[in-house]
Amino acid sequence: MDGGIGLPVTRRDAPGKVSGDAQYAADFPHAGCAYAALTTSSIARGRIVRIDTAQAERAAGVQMVLTHRSLNEGLGEETFAMKGGHMQSSFLPLTSDEVHYAGQIVSLVIADTQEQAEAASRLIAIDYDAQPASASMDDGDRVEKPLESKSIDVGNANAALAISPVTIDATYVTPAQHHNPIELYATSAEWREGRLLVHVPSQWVMGTRMGLATIFGIPAEDVHVECPYVGGGFGGKATILPHTVLIAMAARRLGRAVKLVVPREAMFTVGSFRPATRSRVRLAAERDGTITAVSHEQAGQSATIDHVSFAVTEVTARMYASPNIRVRESTVATDVNTPGFQRAPAEAPGFFGFECAVDELAVALGMDPVALRTKNEPARDPVGNLAWSSRKLTECFARGAELFGWSRRTPEPGSMVAEDGALIGYGCATACYPSASGPSAARIRYSADGVCIVSLSAHDLGTGAYTVMGQIAAEVLGVPNHLVRVQLGDSTLPSGIIAGGSVTTSSSGSAVHVTALAVRDALLRAAGGGELVDGFVVSPDGSRRPATEVLAECTSGFIEETGVWKPDSISDKQMQNGLAGGMAFSSALGKYATYSFGAQFAEVRVDPLLRTVRVHRMVGVFDCGRIINPRTARSNLAGGMIWGASFALLEETQIDRKRARFANTDLAGYHFSTNADIGEVVVEMLDGSDTLANPIGTKGVGEIGIVGMPAAIANAVYHATGVRVRKTPIQVEDLLV
Amino acid sequence: MQPFTYVRPDTLEQALHEAAEPGASVLAGGTTMVDLMRGDLAAPRRVVDIGHLPGLSEIDLSGPVLRFGALARMADAAEDAALKRDYPALAESLQLAASQQLRNAATLGGNLLQRTRCPYFRNGVSACNKRVPGSGCSALDGEDREMALFGISDACVANYPGDWGTALAAFDTAVEIRSAAASRTVPLANFHVAYGDDPARETVLEQGEIVTAITVRATPAGRGSTYAKVRDRQSYAYALVSAAVALEMDGDTVASARVSLGGVASKPWRSAEAEAVLTGATLTEAAGLRAGEAAFAGARPGRHNAFKVELGRRVVARAALTASRRA
Ligand SMILES: Cc1cc2nc3c(=O)[nH]c(=O)nc-3n(C[C@H](O)[C@H](O)[C@H](O)COP(=O)(O)OP(=O)(O)OC[C@H]3O[C@@H](n4cnc5c(N)ncnc54)[C@H](O)[C@@H]3O)c2cc1C
Repeated sequence: MDGGIGLPVTRRDAPGKVSGDAQYAADFPHAGCAYAALTTSSIARGRIVRIDTAQAERAAGVQMVLTHRSLNEGLGEETFAMKGGHMQSSFLPLTSDEVHYAGQIVSLVIADTQEQAEAASRLIAIDYDAQPASASMDDGDRVEKPLESKSIDVGNANAALAISPVTIDATYVTPAQHHNPIELYATSAEWREGRLLVHVPSQWVMGTRMGLATIFGIPAEDVHVECPYVGGGFGGKATILPHTVLIAMAARRLGRAVKLVVPREAMFTVGSFRPATRSRVRLAAERDGTITAVSHEQAGQSATIDHVSFAVTEVTARMYASPNIRVRESTVATDVNTPGFQRAPAEAPGFFGFECAVDELAVALGMDPVALRTKNEPARDPVGNLAWSSRKLTECFARGAELFGWSRRTPEPGSMVAEDGALIGYGCATACYPSASGPSAARIRYSADGVCIVSLSAHDLGTGAYTVMGQIAAEVLGVPNHLVRVQLGDSTLPSGIIAGGSVTTSSSGSAVHVTALAVRDALLRAAGGGELVDGFVVSPDGSRRPATEVLAECTSGFIEETGVWKPDSISDKQMQNGLAGGMAFSSALGKYATYSFGAQFAEVRVDPLLRTVRVHRMVGVFDCGRIINPRTARSNLAGGMIWGASFALLEETQIDRKRARFANTDLAGYHFSTNADIGEVVVEMLDGSDTLANPIGTKGVGEIGIVGMPAAIANAVYHATGVRVRKTPIQVEDLLV
Repeated sequence: MQPFTYVRPDTLEQALHEAAEPGASVLAGGTTMVDLMRGDLAAPRRVVDIGHLPGLSEIDLSGPVLRFGALARMADAAEDAALKRDYPALAESLQLAASQQLRNAATLGGNLLQRTRCPYFRNGVSACNKRVPGSGCSALDGEDREMALFGISDACVANYPGDWGTALAAFDTAVEIRSAAASRTVPLANFHVAYGDDPARETVLEQGEIVTAITVRATPAGRGSTYAKVRDRQSYAYALVSAAVALEMDGDTVASARVSLGGVASKPWRSAEAEAVLTGATLTEAAGLRAGEAAFAGARPGRHNAFKVELGRRVVARAALTASRRA
């Protein structure tokens, strides 16, 4: 068996991607296609008082110019994903003369060629009545709005803080960030006899189908969303972006396929982004390091047009044993496009402040930061007193410290110096990510030629789902790897789950597992009983024959089953909604508290004169339940850690506060790590199946890699320099002291 | 992007003729030009592709004057063994610029002529006197972390971003220019124009002129040179601050010094102040820092870029120490 669970099977999608055969959304040809170009608002808030499209309409090749005066359509019953719909925002551009944020789409020109559309879009003249606007949550006029439902109180943290001998009280900030996938947003839409075909990079083809069906008032079956590959999603492609709706509307009016590829600069405002955060963390401890109070208050940037909150404190509240816990969440509305999911949306920014504060507490106590964390390991969930489905954080720290060589660390800042004079800093942090799941279906056909086809509308964002889904089926059916085929990213397939919240393997993988079991059972029934062992049916009398022989005897020459799986806490009604393309997730807090955990370590080198920081190496040890494929899991975790290094030292969408707009809107100005920025990356995954989580024993792998890294690096920078930087990115000017 | 006519002449003479047409722009490697056109920052009606013209891509380091053909690729100069040995500052400035793919495509002439990365210029909508003369300067009260400290005015605080031009400024460099009617040679110091009253104007190049070569007077100080660049990431980023330093040493004492600064000025910036402090000094880190201090004494920082003064002081010191070890 070369294709089962636990093996480092190479990615099924790799040859197609390397050779260029893989078709991304914008690659699909559409006969007679017209092309669209966007115009976006130059002001951040106000009204369009005049929009003159006459010249553009007369320009060569132009078929249509859409503005708020000509659209006259809306979202209908459809709405924002966080209000239960599928849209990135509840606001659809071109539905009024109002401008709510800089870079809002204000017109769409459609022409016979891309060049004609772009040239004509330059001819549109717009006058605005601009109003004052704020894009930064730090602007003086912004109001913090508490979210009382997110508050948690255990014991009395304020009282414990007042009397404990050692306390920390510090505030940490993280900036707005953008996904910046290499694959640009793109939409092609074509109507054929009342049916809509859409090619769009998507982390949720079923949700996109359901949302578009609602908007256009047609049955979901009449919408076909196809997207076999995604060139980086990171949350930005999870919901329907408004331009997809506009392109489909334009295609219907023109009776012709229309394609839009969003330019890089517009990527910053036509989709979502990771909002800025501000965290105040207070911790208290006895002198021996016993934590007596944990308090975390987070404020997150939201939008005036949509309320968005990524509440991290329900996770940080559960990190350490403490008799007194107090967390608060609030949001600050700003004049920006609606923020949204971006890899570990709550956890990546929230753990930066929280885990830096834990490091500050260790320094105040004169205690080793690993020892402090281990000492306060909670036996049960300290908020709800639930048992953990599994929690091996202490083992992660022990193994991580060993791999990293943590024992070489001398605690005094600046006390470790490399041969070339560079200051060495060691830092660590805890990572955690809730392990949720949701309903999913899958279809498996096992044929007499030995081929096993696994089909479901889940998604592979480069994460490995094509590979992993096949392995789960191969494990049950004993099919060799080269005979496994996997189809994903197409709304005509059985309903897979949204690629978000690190749920794909647990949810769709479980569906593949139960479906494979159904195929096996049908096969054994056809064989008249027995057992399936390595692709052979072994009869009760001990005789063996290949499964393919049994399949050949079936009239159809194959066995095909469609199966469904759902987590226990999801009702049948929720399941039906989820399978149809609605949002249906179990919580990480059910009968058990189910989270992935990790211990992350960083070594930085700081130039003593120039004060520049390099990440020399990173180590992460993770408890993510059963690992279906160590190769793809490692890539996810390492990729997350590399992103974490970018988060710590580079990533920031700068805001031009005066004009309330994002300033560095290209890849020359928006920095993330290059190969040269990343030293050694060591990833290890602890063994262990968490069958309390789901039948295949997995927990989420996709997002946790990023979570602890920003704090681990910031803590390492402190250890190297003695300078505590309580913001990201940590830049050279922060250390020039 | 506005529609344009693309022409690909076979000879320099034809190219000069084409380039003289009103609304014509030349295209060499295209790595800047295409970006500018896509962003509507350049809207030529005629694009004259000169990238393949014969005879303009030689690098000749043998004579008393080094010659770099304007169409030599950045990568060819960056990897030239003799240049690396005899003028490491020049080779390093290219090695540390852009990315390998860009260096393979981009030319030395085009590099000199690249335009500022100021986001307000690039974004196509903000007030920018460089893009729309008279519209104002958004960087003055906006995000100015990357802006310049020298050669700026209330009309424009943008930065000249090129590494190669910065390193060349430390040497006796000249730019050879041809037009259909004439040819002329302009010292590099006079080639770029500081962004003063007329930020739209960046060089003395006139419509129809093509840069054919860059020349550098040979000097033994070349061997004792280096280019130090600090940027937010380790590759593929413009300089926050850079410095080229070329020294001739007499034992521990600096006999002659050449210093230029990048990332901090609206044109490649020679620092006579730093050179004066270094010349005759015994080279220690402290002396290097004093030279750096002198280099930035006249800096005019904005709101978020004052750190470049302190960082710049240290970059000059680091470069001086490295250069002295080579001299
Ligand atoms: C992502 C990115 C990162 C970069 N990073 C760096 C960096 O770190 N450091 C750095 O120094 N540079 C950097 N660059 C800039 C790059 O080096 C320049 O784009 C390149 O050198 C320009 O050369 P080219 O031949 O492509 O010029 P083109 O794009 O062809 O032309 C540039 C300009 O010069 C004019 N021109 C070109 N050749 C001539 C000539 N012979 N005579 C007259 N006019 C001419 C053109 O009309 C145009 O205005 C970066 C560029 C990009 C896109």
